[in-house]
Amino acid sequence: MKYNLCPSMVLNCQKHIAMMGTLVRKNRSTRLLSVVMLTLAFFLLGANGAFADDSGKTHLIELWAERIMPGYEGGNDLFAYRMKKHLIQEDGSETDVTWRYPDEPTIPGPTIVIDEGDQVELTLRHKFDPGDDETLEQVSVHVHGVHYDIESDGTLEYINLVRDQSAINSPTEGMVMSYVYHWTAAPGTAGTWPYHDHNMLTLNGAEDRGLYGAVIVNDHADIETVNGEANTTTSPFSNVGKEYVLFIGDDAFWGTEIDNRTGQQTPLGDNPTLSAARNSYVRFHLIALGTNSHLFRLAGYRWPDSETNLVIQDKAIGALEKHVFAIRANHSSVYEDLAFASRWLGMQGQFKVTRR
Amino acid sequence: MKSPIILSTSKAMAALICLIPTLFFSGIVLASTTHTIHITAETLPNGQLGYKMTSHIGSSQNYPADAVIPGPTFFVQQGDTVDIELTNNTGVPVGLNIPGILTGTAEAAAGGGVQNYSFTANLLGTHPYYDEGSAFLGLFGALIVDAADGSVQSFVDGDGTITPTNVADLAKQYVLFMVGSTFWGAEIVNDTQTPLWANPVLGATLDDVVRFHVLSIGHDHTFHLHAHRWLEDVAPANQGAAPSIIDTKLLSGTADSHAFTLKAGTGTDVGAGSWHMHCHIVSHMESGMQSRFRVDEDGAPESGVSVAGATPYGAILLSENTTDPGVVTFEISDEPGSWFRSARGGAIVDPTGPLGAANIKTQSLEVIAPGSSVHFVMSDTNTVHTVTSLLWPSGADEGEQHAIPFDQSKAYVGGGIVQLNTPGLYVFTCKIHPYMFGAVIVDDPATPGFDLGEHFDLVTGATGVPTAGDLATRLLRTFFVATAPENWQDYTDPTDWHPAYPNVPVRITGGAVLNLQEVLEERYGAGIALDPLTTPAENGYPSGVGEVWINTQFEKTASKTKPGTITVLDATSWTIKRKVALPEINMNNPHNMWSSKNQYTVYQTQWFDDKLTFIDQKDGRMIHNMRVGDAPAHVMTIPSNDDVTVTINGENRVVKIPAIGIKNPWRSSGMPSQLPGQLPANPHGHWITPDGIIVTPNINTADTGFYDGSSGEILARPAAGGVNFPAVPLPIAVGIGGEKAYTANLLDHSLSVYDLAGNPITDINLISTSYDPATFIPGVTNEAASQSGLFPIQTPVDPTGRVVVLAATGGTIVVVDTSTDSIAAVLPCDPGCHGANFGAKAGGGYYAYVTNKFSNRLLVVDPDPDDDGDFTDAVIAGSISMADNNAPTDDAVASLAGMGGQGVLAIPNVYNGWVQNLPSEWKTGLTAAQQNATPEIE
Repeated sequence: MKYNLCPSMVLNCQKHIAMMGTLVRKNRSTRLLSVVMLTLAFFLLGANGAFADDSGKTHLIELWAERIMPGYEGGNDLFAYRMKKHLIQEDGSETDVTWRYPDEPTIPGPTIVIDEGDQVELTLRHKFDPGDDETLEQVSVHVHGVHYDIESDGTLEYINLVRDQSAINSPTEGMVMSYVYHWTAAPGTAGTWPYHDHNMLTLNGAEDRGLYGAVIVNDHADIETVNGEANTTTSPFSNVGKEYVLFIGDDAFWGTEIDNRTGQQTPLGDNPTLSAARNSYVRFHLIALGTNSHLFRLAGYRWPDSETNLVIQDKAIGALEKHVFAIRANHSSVYEDLAFASRWLGMQGQFKVTRR
Repeated sequence: MKSPIILSTSKAMAALICLIPTLFFSGIVLASTTHTIHITAETLPNGQLGYKMTSHIGSSQNYPADAVIPGPTFFVQQGDTVDIELTNNTGVPVGLNIPGILTGTAEAAAGGGVQNYSFTANLLGTHPYYDEGSAFLGLFGALIVDAADGSVQSFVDGDGTITPTNVADLAKQYVLFMVGSTFWGAEIVNDTQTPLWANPVLGATLDDVVRFHVLSIGHDHTFHLHAHRWLEDVAPANQGAAPSIIDTKLLSGTADSHAFTLKAGTGTDVGAGSWHMHCHIVSHMESGMQSRFRVDEDGAPESGVSVAGATPYGAILLSENTTDPGVVTFEISDEPGSWFRSARGGAIVDPTGPLGAANIKTQSLEVIAPGSSVHFVMSDTNTVHTVTSLLWPSGADEGEQHAIPFDQSKAYVGGGIVQLNTPGLYVFTCKIHPYMFGAVIVDDPATPGFDLGEHFDLVTGATGVPTAGDLATRLLRTFFVATAPENWQDYTDPTDWHPAYPNVPVRITGGAVLNLQEVLEERYGAGIALDPLTTPAENGYPSGVGEVWINTQFEKTASKTKPGTITVLDATSWTIKRKVALPEINMNNPHNMWSSKNQYTVYQTQWFDDKLTFIDQKDGRMIHNMRVGDAPAHVMTIPSNDDVTVTINGENRVVKIPAIGIKNPWRSSGMPSQLPGQLPANPHGHWITPDGIIVTPNINTADTGFYDGSSGEILARPAAGGVNFPAVPLPIAVGIGGEKAYTANLLDHSLSVYDLAGNPITDINLISTSYDPATFIPGVTNEAASQSGLFPIQTPVDPTGRVVVLAATGGTIVVVDTSTDSIAAVLPCDPGCHGANFGAKAGGGYYAYVTNKFSNRLLVVDPDPDDDGDFTDAVIAGSISMADNNAPTDDAVASLAGMGGQGVLAIPNVYNGWVQNLPSEWKTGLTAAQQNATPEIE
């Protein structure tokens, strides 16, 4: 048995047997001169600075933290979040979008896609042996980027001086433990941010044991891509057909893809094969997590770097940093982490570009 | 002025065009100042080093009167001229480097040397300054070059407005260095600089606009602050677009910096609070790299007041300051004995120093007052470690601060810091290198004697162990022997072995106060006569066959800074043939070896480094040196194809290097020792079956891993140990013979026995079940029965699969009969008994060669002198000095001659699976039975 993280409908799921990562000699001399970007003004804000959605939807989310046992290979358990319910309230009406998510715990956890101006009420629940193991009870959600007050920090009392903000409080449903967090995607929070447990196991959080996911706050601003001549071009946000959420762990990438036409999320497992239709626009959301630093590359592609305003073809990413970029898919490639240990571990995957 | 940055493309270009001339000419157009700065470098009371401002002409800053960490902050404006005179009052050379501004400069000599530095501050921004050699000890600070017009980084307001800011708008500036696993802070308010020391709580009042200068030295860090966002620092040349908003930032390389401005608690849904501020690297969070940014409501008591952390001037042994929380610092080092070296270690052991009369030989012991902290920094090592509580006073950390026991889930580079509140003895170790020890006594000044505490808990799961008992003093004795090379057994010295213990009163169970030296000498002897060295030949035993290569891992030589040699023994004459030090690569702690099929090449791991080294068997010269990963521990070939496998002990894999094209690293591959996302297994001393199954002791996950050496597939990971202390058995080495694998569990004092499919067969307890650490009295109770195999390490099975000869670092050799899986004999060994491997005995049979870390002799064990298959008559056939300063060598032995025996390898390799593949030149010395050692299967 393997970790059941990869639904059978996904064909490109990687086998979990220990992969023989082969060191490939890298030609670093092809690293291109980066080009100063003059036209990144649109990158963060829309053309008129208008926030995409001031109406302010409210997302009612119920998230479960669950355990994933290893198969015959042994080793320790992993943990994962599962989306139980996602309701969107807007102008007095309510839409249930729970169908977008797989009905099982996934690594990374469900991607919470919201718009700037939205609010989130997130209820975390779990049934980790309550009363038996104190460190497992202390499971939480701490989010980056968006606004929240000290009650929704997701930390322990010795840090926040208020209370243990884990799902440990007053169970009303048998042995289920829960905690409610409130977030506001206020203006200025557009971007991609990690959420993760902050308290479990070592009391520093099981953030590198599976309990993590991404929040994407969209402002619907135009996207920038780099064409063959290394010039940037601008496209409407609505052109982005797919989102890849790729977490970079110490020993593997873990991915999810989102089909923007439907909102459907598909978990891809570790070091997944990513697929895209030729000439479609796709967006990568990279978040590192763990103890190592990484050097990400998608061979043969270049993209604008929001950090330096340069066109780049690789990116150093440290733990819990994010890096978001869009490309126009025009050839198959390999994405990989060039850090020393990662190359020994075969931290790479296919990027397959096919005809529609 | 506040206005959202809303730029169209044409506006952005216009802004850039305007910006360029400003950048180029501002320094020239505006009047510049000349700064004349006098600083000194000082040794602080805890042995750390710091810079001190003595005068600064050209500035209105008020500086601390003392040397501080971080050093004084130099504020200058772009275009200013800066002249710095540095006087070095420390005992080491000290210089000043500023990346991009001041590099490759001369150092001021130790003991009063003076050096001058000059530069023009053209480069806007926050820059680290530091000393190259001793930055980790505290010699770092910030140079802040601001624009002449006072503009600083804009902040992101709660409504998303990106707000331009002037230095006059700032309520405070913080300088926060990320070093090891510690923040070192200072704040500047109204031109007055205040040191905030280690992991301070930074205070601000709600809606204060404050500026953070985050800097780093040496290791990667990612700075993260809860509930706040700020702008990326975009290089001036690339300005012009809307910048990126972040809340986490990677700092990397030798030195790095990141500066930003924020409004404290801004946002209608944020507000006041005790906001977590930490490094987001998991191992650094786990090792204490966290503090708070406390945002107070306006008008609250003490609103916005920062709280300083532990200071090098605080309450530690010999300090006059008994009120402020202090900090002692251990440097993590590759240096033998001083693996945890107190920053003031030299002063502690100095016979003429204030503690000279106490005769403390170890540099790995510190004493602090309750509430002070112990701080670690991996400043003198080339690999990863953990800083892990081995023992601590029972009941420590009852304050729910989640600090004790101190541990991290992965090995890493960095450091650690932890406040200790409960009086008593705390011992720290490294899970990867479990003989690295550092100890702290938290001493209540109100009680007589140094407090060892009433009872202590062990990482193994033992709790409430009395400090008066045998286990306590046995561990203390081990600590004082392991951490003081002067206490190691030197067989070239004819005088008795007399380890020095601190001559100090200690307070133990029941409040009794005893002299530590007297207790230890009474229990374990004062002057102990060492057995004379006699070779097997002198004792009437046959010679060996070929050579024995011994990793004398702690032997120091003249031309390199790192320790370790290979001592090559001629087994036919029992004389030392060669010493191999490899000064050209500064070979670092050579730990374990194996040979190629044809025996031409010896593979050597460097355990405190990241290299596998290839050595010519015939002349000891280096062939190749290859980076394989952190803390490579053991190396062994796959019998069928001669591929080389190396356990990457500091990480999560076994590296395989194909025998064909062996010098081409890109042909090599890594076999993960666990599934993706799981805790790293950190394999140590593996073995391989004749069929190519790799069996690893996984120290971090407490199991034995069985892997297909061809595909890398994980076959099984059964639990290891659990006989005595299931919590942390620390499986450390595997031996395979016949159809069974034996895993030695260092902290469980047991052998786990499996079949080759990974099914558990039995466990062998290596200590007596009647051993009670509270009541045991050495010399009265039966010692051999009580501790037949305390702390077992290498556990090879002989080539015929009939007998295990196990080296137990508690000081015994245990002989296990595999037909019954029971102990057949226990033989005496030295402190730090470590390595064992079999080689051919002339005329038939095998010797086991056993090495010792804390002595300089090799023991030759004959497990079956009469060759009758009964191992109860196993005997030490001889002992040979590893010290030989006249042997041919590539570097002169300087100190610790012959010490540190660990990995051992007999050439020819006569193990089953390998012996069959020997070339004929190596087979000629072997008997027919030795040439085909097919094990007898029960």
